[in-house]
This record gives sequence, structure tokens and C-alpha cells, in this order.
Amino acid sequence: MNPHISVKSVTKAFTKGKTTITPLENLSLDVPRGEFLSLMGPSGSGKTTLLNLIAGIDTPTSGQILIDGNDIARLTRAQLTRWRAKHVGYIFQLYHLVPILSAYENVELPLLLGKLGKSERKKKILSALDLVGLGDRADHRPSELSGGQEQRVAIARAIVHDPELLVADEPTGDLDRESADSILNLLDTLATKHGKTIVMVTHDPKASASAHRALQLEKGQFIEEGHLLTHA
Amino acid sequence: MLPFTYALRNLFRDPSRLLQTVGGSAVVVLLLIAAVALNQGMDTVLSASGSPQNVILVGKGSEKSIERSEVGISAESAAATSITGIDSKLKVLAVSGEISYQAPITTASGVEEQALLRGVLEKALLVHTSVRLLEGHFPGPGEAMVGRLTHRKLGVEKDDLAVGKLLKFGDTEVKISGRFAAPGTVLESEIWFDRNDLASLTQRDSLSSITLRLAGDGSGSIDDVELFTFQRNDLELSAIREDHYYDKLSVFYKPIKIMTWVTAALVAAGAVFGGLNTLYAAFAARIKEMATLQSIGYTRVALFVSLIQESLLATLTGTLLAFILAYFLLDGRTVPFSIGTFTLTLTPMVIFSGLVAGILLGTIGTLPPAIRCLLPSLPKALRSS
Repeated sequence: MNPHISVKSVTKAFTKGKTTITPLENLSLDVPRGEFLSLMGPSGSGKTTLLNLIAGIDTPTSGQILIDGNDIARLTRAQLTRWRAKHVGYIFQLYHLVPILSAYENVELPLLLGKLGKSERKKKILSALDLVGLGDRADHRPSELSGGQEQRVAIARAIVHDPELLVADEPTGDLDRESADSILNLLDTLATKHGKTIVMVTHDPKASASAHRALQLEKGQFIEEGHLLTHA
Repeated sequence: MLPFTYALRNLFRDPSRLLQTVGGSAVVVLLLIAAVALNQGMDTVLSASGSPQNVILVGKGSEKSIERSEVGISAESAAATSITGIDSKLKVLAVSGEISYQAPITTASGVEEQALLRGVLEKALLVHTSVRLLEGHFPGPGEAMVGRLTHRKLGVEKDDLAVGKLLKFGDTEVKISGRFAAPGTVLESEIWFDRNDLASLTQRDSLSSITLRLAGDGSGSIDDVELFTFQRNDLELSAIREDHYYDKLSVFYKPIKIMTWVTAALVAAGAVFGGLNTLYAAFAARIKEMATLQSIGYTRVALFVSLIQESLLATLTGTLLAFILAYFLLDGRTVPFSIGTFTLTLTPMVIFSGLVAGILLGTIGTLPPAIRCLLPSLPKALRSS
């Protein structure tokens, strides 16, 4: 069976003045569909760069990034934007909710890019908010929610249009332990019960332990791989 | 596309920034409206003041200024008898020798101001056909009649120039015998004296100009008047159509118009830069949010349109405010200038100019801050603080 994500000999280099920085060099990785993968590593190890490449936020200097067999590295910026709208849900460390919109309206944002009618959108939004346990907070603005609740809204926004791939950049980095555990459980449920492929960047070993597989990055290379948890 | 409500709600994120943008655009649009109304008002009054049917005879070399012109008194009767095709009423030919003079006049309340004086005989009404007596009578000896807007030119209360009040020219007092209107022309700001009185008061033994009105049936033409000036070379006259004379005056006032635009542009530039700065700050604070929306799948074009909607809402609110202010502060206000007075009017052209300015401010003014907000690469923008 083909992997959902296949990163093939990817190099990403930035030029800053006369210096060239290469956060990722000739890196390869396969992620099967429905896997919850965590990427760990010190700052500057290239984990967020890899996450952005997988999410189509950034493009590699060389190599291929195959998602369902399609090389997204060859897409233009506009094509990548359209691709992300359909296939990716992005979860940020600091939630990145739009402060002037309610939880309901924030979750609605990805659906406005499609052709769904208002009632269909409403059904999907309420269902996503229910799934993250915030069905009763639909009318609340981000400023009226706790950090954990904000991250749940962000997750609802990431899943509402039913993407196959979720990428999460330090999703528990700004949360207390209890909220972090609850978010990690939610991500685990999304992978195991809803078949989402999740790639998560984290500094937190406990968060990493919640994933099906953890990879350690250092200087743009994987240095260690370990199965931390098995889910039947 | 992002919903319109997103742009609408964004406006109220920071009320002080909204106030600055609305206020800044209101200032810019108001200034532009004022400049356009000022220029249009001046052009309108100058073009309305000259009739293509009237020809002015002035002393050779004085085509640009009637006040500096000198024409012998005998030229009036010579013109009347020699030129064919002159309009007439009740057998009186429409030929009016006139004295134009600028001098300080003291009103009944003691205000002394430079006034535009015209010495005329009653037949002046045959050439200046727009003149209508509103009250009183045409001035006889020791009398003067004032235009409807003369008080604006002199900067005095209307009552100060009421019929029956006295005006002082030097040590000589004249009584106001009447008030006249000549809608939309510079005549409305003048004081008309009996011609003989003004000649004696100004110690002149010549006229400033002779205005004659050609018959409407086409029997007379400027060529006939010019032929007369050539034939009577001894009178040293030049003929110029009245509308052309005011057109030339319009050119004379061009530097003033340019200064109006420059002043408006300088003040507006300050407001535009202030507004741009506000937009820069407003959009810079949302670089991460724009990047988030792009990561969700919104194109830069969609976000740009939303930013334009947002600033258009602000600048058009400012434009509306400018229109309201212009209606109360400018519309109908009379502005004196050296040869008369004109009225500021919110014409469709003025309103259109204001609207275009508001739209340009909201679109072109948004371009630099919007591009700065949307241009950074996504990974960089997502990391921005």
C-alpha cells in the first residue's frame, strides 16, 4: 500500500546574504494513512520546515513531496493554496483564530471556500464543534475562551472540511498539562477513529509519546526512530 | 472570497485607527471638493459674465485690463453711428460707454474697502442684459446702486448696503438708490454710479470701455466692429468679444487656481500619508492572520479584495462625512476675488470628483500596506509577531 505522505530526498536551503542555511538535507520519510506522527528536535533542527513542506506552506529546494502520489513540490503558490483548502488542516501553537469572529465563524472559514449551502455548512460546523467538545461555545469569540478551548476551536477549524491530512505545530506548547492531554487525546481520536494522518511538531516528550510514531530530527536529519505507542 | 462582514468587523478592531482613517479621508476629500468647487465657481462666473453677442472696445494695448484702458468719450457716438448691426430697444442703440474703476469705498458702518465701481448711463441695461433691479431705481446724480453680492466683496453686512444708506467715495457721499442682480456674473459685486458722477469723482475725461451688443438676427458681427477700429485708427481702439475677454481673464487667474490645487494637494498629502501610516500599522498587525487565512486556503487575491473592501468602507465613510461637511460649510458660500464674487456649489462634477477621490484613497492608498502585508512568504508570515 502506498504511503499517504512520501518525502523523497528533500533538501530545503535558504540564502541569507552570502550565507546558505540548509535546515533539511536529502531527507526522506514515509507516513502511512491514519498515522499520528510526531517530529521532535531542538530549535533549528528543521522540524517546522519539514512540517511546512508537508502542509504545502513552503516548497523544497529539491526533492519530491508526494501526497497520495501527487508531487506537491511542483505546484505553484496559487495551486498550493487551492490544494491546502481541500486536503490540509493546520493547527498552530498559538491557535491563530481570527479575533473578530466567533468560534462558529472561525470554524466556518474553510467551508466558505467550497460550494456548500448555509444549512450544510451549519451542520458541519456544529458537528466539528461537538467533536471537539465545544458545541455550546459556538457564539463565543476567542477572547472569551480559555487557551485549551481556543485550540479546540482551531482543531475544529482544521477538520471541518474533512481533510485527510492534519499538521500541528506545537499544538500543546501554550497549554497547561490538563488541556494539553485533552488536545493530544483529541488528535489521537482523529487519527485512530477518523483516519486522519497527523504530523505533529513538538518539544514535549509527553506529547510525542501520545503519537503512534516519533521521529527525532537534528541538523536536518533523522537521528532516531522509535515506536512509542501502539494503537490497535 | 471572505465574507463582507469580515471586512466590516475588521473596521472596528481599533476605533482610534478607524477614526484616523475616516478623518484623514474626510479631510482629503473635503479639500478636493473645495478646490474643485473653487475652480469651477471661478470658471463659471467668468464664463457667465461674458456674452458672445457683446463686443468691448478698449484702448489699444489694454485688451487685458479694462481698468487700465482709456477711450475718448467721442468714440461712443462714433461707434454707435458707424457700426451696423447693433441691437436696439425703443430706437436706443445698445452702446454703453463705461468707466471702470477700483477705489476704496466707506460704508455707512464706517468700513472702508476696495470696491469695483462702474460708471454707467441707463442704456448700460441694454448691453448688460442679465442685470435686473431688485429694489429701488437706477442711480441718478449723487446716487449709486449696489449688486446683490457687493456686501460679500466688501466684507460687510447686507444691511450696510441697504437702499437709502450712504456710501462715501473720498469725501463725497452718495446715496444707495437701488440693488440689482446679475445672476452668476461678476457684475453682482460691483457698485454702479452715474457715469458723470464717477468721471468727476475720479477726475477722468475719458471712458474705460465701450460695450456694444450686436443684434441677435446676425446682421452685425465682430468683423464689423473690427473694421470700424481699423477705419477709425485715430480713436486707437481694439475690439474684443466680451466672452473672449473673460476667457482671457480666466487664464490670468490660472496661477491662483494652481495655487489652490497646490495648497489642497499639500494638505491632502499630509492626510494621505497619515492615513497610509494608519493602514500600514493596521495591516502590519495582521500579517500573521493573513498568513493563517492563506494556510486555510484563501488566495492572496481574496485577501487583497477583503483589505480593499475594508479600507473602502472607511474612506467612503470619510467621503460621506466630507460631503456632509461640504454641504454645510461650502455649498452656497460666496467667495470674493479681485473682480467679483463667485459661489461655491456642490455640482454633480464636484460630487463626482469627491467620490472618485474617496474610491482612489480606498484602493490605491491600500495598495502599499496591503502588498506589504501579503507579500512575505507564508512560513515567515506565520512566524511574525
